[in-house]
Amino acid sequence: MEKSPMEFKIKEPEVLSDRIKWLRDYYFSGTKRNWNNEFTSWTTGTDWDIQYEELTFYIVPETYPFFQTFRSSMKQSAQKVDFPKWFWTGSIVERKAWFLNEVVVNHLPKEVLPGDLIAGSKFNIMTSMCWNKSEAKKRDSFVYGKNGSRASIKKFHDHGYGNAGATSGHLIPGYDRILEIGWKGVYKELESFYDKLTDSEKSGEKGAQLNAMKRVAKMPKELAKKYSLLCNNLADLEKDQSRKEELLQMAVNLKKVPWNAPTTFWEAVQALWMTHMLVMSDENYPGPGVSFGRFDQYLYPFWKKSIENGMDREFSKEILKTFWIHANTAYDAFIRVGGNQGITAGYGQLITLSGIGENGEDLTNDLTYVILEVIDEMSPILEPKPSIRIHRNTPDKLYDVMISMISSSQGAPFLLNFDERSMAGMMNESKNGKLQKLINKENVYNYCPVGCLENTMTGNDRSGTVDVNLNLLKAVELTLTNGRDMNIFIDPITGKSEKIKQDGPKTGDPTKFSTWEQFKKAYITQTEFIVKKIVELYEKSESIRAEFVPTPYLSCLVKGCAEKATDITKGGAEISFVTIEGVTYGTTVDSLLAIKYLVFDEKLCTMEELVTALRANWEGYEILQARAKNRAPKYGRDDNYADEMGKFVMDLWTGETWKYKTKSTNRQFRPGMLSWNYWVGDGFILAASADGRKKGNFLSNAICPTNGADTNGPTSNTNSVGKVLGGKSENGDWNEFNNSLPNGASHTITFSPSLIRDDEHKDKFKSYLKGYVENGGTALQINVLDSAMLIDAQNHPQNYKHLLVRVTGYNAYFTSIGRELQNEIIARVSHEKF
Amino acid sequence: MNDKCENINGTVLEIQRMSTEDGPGIRTTVFMKGCTLKCSWCHNPESISFKQELQWIKTDCIECGICIDLCPSKALSFKDNDVIIDREKCKICNICSKECPTGALELIGSKWNVENLVEELLKDRAYFEKSAGGVTISGGEPAMQPDFVVEVLKKLKKQGIHVALDSCGMSSEESFIKILPHVDLVLFDIKEIDSVKHKEFTGSSNEQILSNLKFVDNYIKNHKDSKSLWIRTPIIPDATATENNILGITKFLSENRIEYDRWELCSFNNLCNDKYVRLNIDWEFKNYHLFDSKTMDRLLAVAKENSSDSKNIIWTGSVKTEVEDFTSETKKSEFVDYCKITSVGD
Repeated sequence: MEKSPMEFKIKEPEVLSDRIKWLRDYYFSGTKRNWNNEFTSWTTGTDWDIQYEELTFYIVPETYPFFQTFRSSMKQSAQKVDFPKWFWTGSIVERKAWFLNEVVVNHLPKEVLPGDLIAGSKFNIMTSMCWNKSEAKKRDSFVYGKNGSRASIKKFHDHGYGNAGATSGHLIPGYDRILEIGWKGVYKELESFYDKLTDSEKSGEKGAQLNAMKRVAKMPKELAKKYSLLCNNLADLEKDQSRKEELLQMAVNLKKVPWNAPTTFWEAVQALWMTHMLVMSDENYPGPGVSFGRFDQYLYPFWKKSIENGMDREFSKEILKTFWIHANTAYDAFIRVGGNQGITAGYGQLITLSGIGENGEDLTNDLTYVILEVIDEMSPILEPKPSIRIHRNTPDKLYDVMISMISSSQGAPFLLNFDERSMAGMMNESKNGKLQKLINKENVYNYCPVGCLENTMTGNDRSGTVDVNLNLLKAVELTLTNGRDMNIFIDPITGKSEKIKQDGPKTGDPTKFSTWEQFKKAYITQTEFIVKKIVELYEKSESIRAEFVPTPYLSCLVKGCAEKATDITKGGAEISFVTIEGVTYGTTVDSLLAIKYLVFDEKLCTMEELVTALRANWEGYEILQARAKNRAPKYGRDDNYADEMGKFVMDLWTGETWKYKTKSTNRQFRPGMLSWNYWVGDGFILAASADGRKKGNFLSNAICPTNGADTNGPTSNTNSVGKVLGGKSENGDWNEFNNSLPNGASHTITFSPSLIRDDEHKDKFKSYLKGYVENGGTALQINVLDSAMLIDAQNHPQNYKHLLVRVTGYNAYFTSIGRELQNEIIARVSHEKF
Repeated sequence: MNDKCENINGTVLEIQRMSTEDGPGIRTTVFMKGCTLKCSWCHNPESISFKQELQWIKTDCIECGICIDLCPSKALSFKDNDVIIDREKCKICNICSKECPTGALELIGSKWNVENLVEELLKDRAYFEKSAGGVTISGGEPAMQPDFVVEVLKKLKKQGIHVALDSCGMSSEESFIKILPHVDLVLFDIKEIDSVKHKEFTGSSNEQILSNLKFVDNYIKNHKDSKSLWIRTPIIPDATATENNILGITKFLSENRIEYDRWELCSFNNLCNDKYVRLNIDWEFKNYHLFDSKTMDRLLAVAKENSSDSKNIIWTGSVKTEVEDFTSETKKSEFVDYCKITSVGD
């Protein structure tokens, strides 16, 4: 092994029991494991059958070249499942429900790992789409046709607009209800909804939907029964008495839950896990943002009761730690396919801790602290991702625990979500989406983030939080070119170039503009165009999913679907938004500021010179580029002039977003800001920008200022973010807080370790966070990093396997992400002012 | 009267937001330009002159030559890829720095009026309130621009902001008389107790400083409920970092019954070396490294042993970090410069 002077200490897990240490080490042994949770594929055996549905991957541009490969390899490896005679007479959702249940209950191996306290191990499956021949043909024509969804997404992405696709996950299923009434209760409700249907409805679409849901509502019971038997068998073979007792108890738990409502903490965690893992089976995707909601709130009554009845506090942590291991096995799906650029880090089964209560009180409880201990002791580990909700009444004790965890890790092993600003966003969505009955002052405190930081309500809300990702910067490019791409597109695979076309509206030759106001007007028109264009693109995959890819099991867990007898993919959820995530915000604002500064205010160049410089990717125009970079105003410095431009861009694009609904499913679009890794990848697609950025350099991330622009430090960066979201006013969306992004906005700040070096400075950092509540955005990722350490990690990855970094609100192992993103993180860290 | 005062301009070197090293809580620190001392180790050499100065930052320069063509005084030239500033000829007309595309040529020191500066300083009010922080007026020597500073302080006090004055102590008693009514906290430097050495290190003997300290202490004692005093001593290698010096300061403080809430021994750091390079000054401390924590602990112990107020004495700043080398079997430890910290204001 190559040796390096290991100068920097990586956090190692501490005080783990032998059981958890073994399970954790086993998990991290990765491909060397005999057991794993890799995808298995299942088919009806027809020629036209497929398992891999590409729609859910339209938001992952790195996978576009592999669609065909994934499709064929899943098909080739698929095992045939024999189906009953009625199969082809049922509707797609009935077939899908039967098939899922059959695979999960009767085909998937049931295993319990040594020492495990929770059952439910294999769940990553690719099931047959269960289409008949004509359905498959129809669907294929929508996907593969000349104007099909695949060609459309590729073109859209190639030309720098962004991406969009109907994606799985990203919601909080009604897990709290399962803990309250069990699947038995859900089943009874489904029966009563079915009974209320008229005879013709029963034999129609609605009846089929409820029949399908009823079938899969029994699936957890059937599966638990099998695991219960397995635990009994394992107990018979077990020599160690205490382990034997554990297995027998597990068998008893599984006989009861999740069909019946749990009474003990152990049962509750078991019920929660099994219910959750089957969502991932139903969607054929390992946990993309399938989030838990207020985990420490709904589990607390069970925990408290069990503690009162004698459960050891440490044993409750042991149960949670096995739950943690289970959540990580989601990553086994593609265990033999290497990850890159954060693909492996995109899962985000988020748990929410603490937060505000009905009357503004704080809801932190003993279990909150137990869970934080679990996170601290298991860290570094990716899943489940914790988000801690902070607000004006957050107790100092919770701050102290958090800051102590931050100072011992390489950054916060959790995200912070800020209640007042977030609730303002939810109230804003209630007003704009006309949902006052479902989101109002009385219940908004129960909002929760999903995935990374996307705020939604709980158990009745699917808001498509990662489905639509719009590069706001494209509108600036089209304004500069009178609606035509700035650069010729050359296909990186075929090498063929496309002729530039009039893709956007003609907003006038910008070299003829004599005032900034003329430019601004043209920019507004181009922004209207790109929003409309992405809405139309999304419609393609949304309508295909609605017709062909139902998820009946998930539909059981989301309020509105049973009531309306409508699958969640058809817009069944009570609250059913689609979120447009604005990408490249900082770069857009800074580009507009630079154009105004260079061309109109200071007249340092003509518009023609600027456009020529941009076409030349600034080459030969280094002086002008330097002026754009260094002398033009920038967003993120608490400079009111620049931040007003930020507010203008924000109001414009969010206003456009609220104008649209999906046609096929009647879902209202809402705005947010999350950039996943697009700000890295799309930097290679989008032309050079007027803020001085060259093509190939990164764009700005979510609501963060452009790289290096926040020269006035964290408080000014924070103030700028709060201001562009709407700041505060007398009659705000929530009390005095305004927020025009209901989804929330990802904000990452990297701090110097010296800021938390002793108690006095930890106190100052705490105060900074309290100030963030007042002045900042909805969500903050805190990084505490050192660039020398990261460079050493690049050079000696073997020493830094567990080094977690947090980007855009998602966590990734530093050594597993691409070199480009690594360099970007290093650049960010090095920039920090001493 | 107000109008007249608002017309006063101050020369400000820098405004630092989220400062955590210049008093309690989160603060915004205003560094006023111009100092009465010339400490050989000064961490902010650009703060010494009362005049605006031109500086050139090599790493930011793209060698476009615009500045050289534009300079009406012909004060700028290229030599071996470096822009040379002829400081005799330079009239600080600001033409070159305004036109410099990268900001590599920069005019150090900007004029602020009271109103605009106060508006800027209030931007982090939320953080001040949450942290019991506020604004620190530092320098240079802020007491050398007393009228401007007093107007700024008055306006901040009116807004309920906690304000601190960070002084090197070398100023007239009159300027303290003007300023003290408007501050909540004074950060006062005693660098070297031996007056001869003090003159050698800073260009001035220390009698005036020590007498000012007694005056300030007395004033604060008379306003005990609302004001407090912190003492700061920069610990500089081969200069102030001697046990004798610390012992001498300790004795002075106790003999004169100086009452302080805190006495900070501020550990030397070398992050400012680049600033000297930019000003074409060969810094005599350029080859010095951070102290290790043992040295700072030892000096702290000297101060504590000889003071009645020992709990209020601490050392601050960055030191070499001892990091375990876990790959080596011998587990030997090695030192690395791990200094990421805001430089302490002198």
